[in-house]
Amino acid sequence: MINAVRSELLRTRRKGIVLGWSGLTVLFTVMINMVMAQVVGSSSTGPTAGPGVSFPTLGQWQAADGITAGLSSAAGMYGVVALSFWAIVTAGDYSSGLIRLTASAQPDRVRLLLGKAGALALWTAAVTTVALVADLVIAPVAAQSADIDVSAWGRDIVPTLAGAWFNLFATLLVWGVIGLALALVTRSAAVSISVGVGYVLVVEAVVTAALDAIADWTPGATLGALARGGTADIPYGTALALGALYTLLGLGVALTVFRRRDITD
Amino acid sequence: MSVIRTAGLTRRFGGVTALEDLTLELPRAGVIGLVGPNGSGKSTLIRMLLGLISPTSGTAEVLDEPISAPGRYLDRVGALVENPAFVPGLSARANLMSLARLRGLPPSRVDEVLRTVGLTGRDTEPVKRFSLGMKQRLGIAAALLPDPELLILDEPTNGLDPSGIVEIRGLLADLARAGRTVIVSSHLLAEIETVCDFLVVVRFGRLVYSGPVTDLLARTGQRIEIAAEHPQDTSSLHALLSADGWQVEQVSEGRLSVAADERRGAELNRSAARGGITLRSMTPVRGSLEEIFLEMTGSSDQDLTAARAAAAERKAS
Repeated sequence: MINAVRSELLRTRRKGIVLGWSGLTVLFTVMINMVMAQVVGSSSTGPTAGPGVSFPTLGQWQAADGITAGLSSAAGMYGVVALSFWAIVTAGDYSSGLIRLTASAQPDRVRLLLGKAGALALWTAAVTTVALVADLVIAPVAAQSADIDVSAWGRDIVPTLAGAWFNLFATLLVWGVIGLALALVTRSAAVSISVGVGYVLVVEAVVTAALDAIADWTPGATLGALARGGTADIPYGTALALGALYTLLGLGVALTVFRRRDITD
Repeated sequence: MSVIRTAGLTRRFGGVTALEDLTLELPRAGVIGLVGPNGSGKSTLIRMLLGLISPTSGTAEVLDEPISAPGRYLDRVGALVENPAFVPGLSARANLMSLARLRGLPPSRVDEVLRTVGLTGRDTEPVKRFSLGMKQRLGIAAALLPDPELLILDEPTNGLDPSGIVEIRGLLADLARAGRTVIVSSHLLAEIETVCDFLVVVRFGRLVYSGPVTDLLARTGQRIEIAAEHPQDTSSLHALLSADGWQVEQVSEGRLSVAADERRGAELNRSAARGGITLRSMTPVRGSLEEIFLEMTGSSDQDLTAARAAAAERKAS
């Protein structure tokens, strides 16, 4: 499987993916921190969350781990981007016909797909690091621009950063695997991204509004809680377990579809 | 020893039968042509042999291994299926390197195949800047990566210039001489006739012919075109030969075409002489693979229409 990962890493090492994914991540990091500084700084109760975005209260932002609050706030947006890139890379193999070459070079389709997932997981780790570094640069600037006291930010910095990195990485990994599964089912990057974005922005909000009982189980809510290290409604352990379950389900669907379906493209 | 064996191989896509009850056995070593009109099932057959799609029914073996277990033989098979597909933003070398890594091959193998297809020196350019012919060469290079026992090439000369076609033809011949088996799917029947030793013809998913190219060419009605010394004797010669039982057609003013193998040339000459007519020329004419193919498949898709027009044009000239 190492060969499949190395092969996929080489194929995905292209400008459109590296710059596009990293660029969007930096953009969202800058955007969320600047918006947070303006919105959170002027409210002590905490502003209303929007689809894919949730803001901390002023107190939460000023806490020792507040320096990474931007990452968990924008986790939904990062997630949609991760889903999109995983889907683009996967469905692109079908639209370009590259899948014919790779599937005949590596007939073990489980190995081939896990190699792709492994390489994309490594890219996801790299992008998570980019997001963390961007956040470390932008968050103090944003806080300063809104005159927010962030003197507590230097405390326990290593565990704070390590925890934030892991939580964001785990969140993006689950979104990515969902993108992988969608791309293999639909064989279209555009359809996969539409379904993913449509779900985050519309479907989950409608479903949870109608069925309150499942609000703590849905992917958007679960992954949002995972990125924040747990919430009052969804404890961290539950979020981790549900994230793992969604990953396994996504991989299961992806592997089943990829192994059983003919490659006619 | 056969390189590919199929028995009752059938593939249906919904209500459409792409390949029906295909039973054939292809010999090891040499160049094998796979021809048929568009939609005749060639690509479906190739995809099944490569494990990309599974048959609806029937069985097949490649290099003595069942196609249900492609992992057992695909490390000895190289293929170019339909258009060569690569990552456009990556260089030719990086594209090949990613495939070499996937197959667990050393980087030196990439240099070897780049040299073989004549892309050394252009290997660091992004594939998006390549012409169709260069992409085709890169596709062949990718197929050659595993140093395959069996090479399956779909339209390998597509987009190549005449010198490129000659090079690829030479490469295929070299591979066959080295004991490899090369299967070439093509619409260029003149090309097939030049390079192939064995031929498989499919139409509407069914096998029409499978055997040596020479046997197929020998099946065609051979003809001898003759001309009388004095053109005014042409009609008398026509009547004389017809009366003697020869099948004769007038092909142009002063020239007749007689349905006969060239070994009957002396006999034909004696028939003319018995009527007091001296022949100025006798030219044996053999049917081309193109004519035979059109006769066998009798299809009317665009490729065949074009091929038929080209064949008629050549005949007229």
